[in-house]
Amino acid sequence: MIVIIDYGMGNLFSVQSALNYLGVSSQISSDVEVIKTASKLILPGVGSFYQAMENLRKSGLAKIITETVVQKKTPILGICLGMQLLALSSTENGFSEGFGFISSVIKRFELPPSSELKIPHVGFEYVDIVKNCKLMEGLGAGADFYFTHSYRMKFENQPFTVGTCLHGENFVAVFEDGYVCGTQFHPEKSQTNGLIILKNFIEKF
Amino acid sequence: MAKKRLIFTLLYNNGDFMLSRNFRLQKAGNINWLKSNYNFKRIAFSIDELIILDVSRNKRNLSCFCDHIKLIAEECFIPIAAGGGVVSLEHARTILNSGADKIVVNTALLKHPSLIKELVKIYGSQCIIASIDVIKKEDQLECYISNGMEKVNQDFCNYIKYVISLGVGEVYLNSIDKDGSGQGYMVALLEQLDNSVKVPIIIAGGAGNWSHLLEGLKHNMSQAVATANLFNFIGEGFPNARRRLLENSLDLATWSVDKVVSVND
Repeated sequence: MIVIIDYGMGNLFSVQSALNYLGVSSQISSDVEVIKTASKLILPGVGSFYQAMENLRKSGLAKIITETVVQKKTPILGICLGMQLLALSSTENGFSEGFGFISSVIKRFELPPSSELKIPHVGFEYVDIVKNCKLMEGLGAGADFYFTHSYRMKFENQPFTVGTCLHGENFVAVFEDGYVCGTQFHPEKSQTNGLIILKNFIEKF
Repeated sequence: MAKKRLIFTLLYNNGDFMLSRNFRLQKAGNINWLKSNYNFKRIAFSIDELIILDVSRNKRNLSCFCDHIKLIAEECFIPIAAGGGVVSLEHARTILNSGADKIVVNTALLKHPSLIKELVKIYGSQCIIASIDVIKKEDQLECYISNGMEKVNQDFCNYIKYVISLGVGEVYLNSIDKDGSGQGYMVALLEQLDNSVKVPIIIAGGAGNWSHLLEGLKHNMSQAVATANLFNFIGEGFPNARRRLLENSLDLATWSVDKVVSVND
C-alpha cells in the first residue's frame, strides 16, 4: 500500500486524488504500523519547516519514518515542504534539523535587492532535467511544474540533483538518490507533467 | 519569471453552476451536468488554475459548497482558489481543507480588513486573492462589494492600493459591465495600474473568444486572464484557445493534454 503521511501539514487530499486518477489506491495515515508496512511513502507538506519537524518529532513519526526508510529501504517521495524535510536542515523560523537523507541545506532565496523577482516564488516554471533519472522519465529535456515556496535548496552540483529551476538563482527542483526522492514543485498540481512523475514513482521505485 | 496563466472561474449558486451577465445569474447545470454532459475534465486539462466562487444570492451553505469543491478537485490537477462570502478564519480553513489552495476574498476586504491580515499571516500572501468588481460610469471607475450591490467609497486607484496594503498576494479584477458580454476585457482597468503594483493581476469579465484572452495576456500589467463563461469556450474551445495562444508565442506552461496517463499493473 502506498501511504501518504499525515502529520497535520498540507494538502493530502490533492495528492490522493492524483493517485486515484492514476488508478492507484493509497492510504492517508499517521499510524505507525501502517507506515512501517507501506510499499512506498509520500511525504507532502505546506507550511513551515520548523512546525513540520515539531509535529513529526512529537508524534513519534520522525523516528518511524527514518527507520522505515533507512532499514527497510522503503521508497519515499517528498513534495514541496516534504521534499525539504528530507534534507539536513532549514533556517525557516529559526534553525531546525530535517531527516538528513539528502546532504544539503534549505535556506531562503537570496536575491539581490534590485531584483524584480518575487518571494514567494509562485506559479508554473520550467524545470531543466540535468541528469538521467527514473522520476522524470518521459518528460524529455524538461517540463513545466507548479511551484509555491520561499525557501529552496541551492543547486551546487550535488550528485543527487536531477532537475533544476531558475528563480534569480539555480535551485534544486527534483532530487533522486536511490530510493529517496523529492520535488520542490507540486506534481499533484502540475497537470499531466506532474501525473507522469507520480506514475514513475509508483512504477519504477 | 513564472509563466502567464489561463484561469477558468466556476460560479456556484446553491448547488448549481451559473452563467453570469452583468452579475445577473442564470442556471447552467448541477455538478453531474458539469462533470458528465459538460465534460469539465477536458477543460480542466487546458487551464493553469481554477477559481470556484460561491456567488449564492440567498443564504450560503458552506458545507455544501465545500462538497462541490472536493468533487471538482478530484479530477483537477492544478491550483484551485475558492471563495465567496468568506467571513471568518474558520470559514477560510474549511475551504482550504476541501482541496482549495488559495482563498478569494472580496467584501471582507472592506468589511473585515483584520481578517484579511490574519489570513495573510497564517497562510501567507500567496494564498490570498483579492477580488475587485468594477463598473465604468462615464469616465469614472467605481468599485463594488457584496455581489456588486454595494459601492465602495474610494476611487479605483485608491481602493486597489488599499487592498494591496492588506498583504494579499494577487488581485482579481472583474468588470461588471463586461461580465458575460463576450465583448472582450475592460483593458482600461489595466491602464490605470502603474509599476507600484507589485502583485500579480488577473483580469476577468468579458472574454468571448481566444483573441480576447490574447489581448488580456499580452498586456504588461496582467499575469493572468480569467473567464467564467461556460459556453463561450465549450467543447474543444479551451484546448483550441490554449493552442492558439501558444502559437502566438505567449509564455504559457505546456503539457501533453492527450497523453493518457495511468499506471500499468
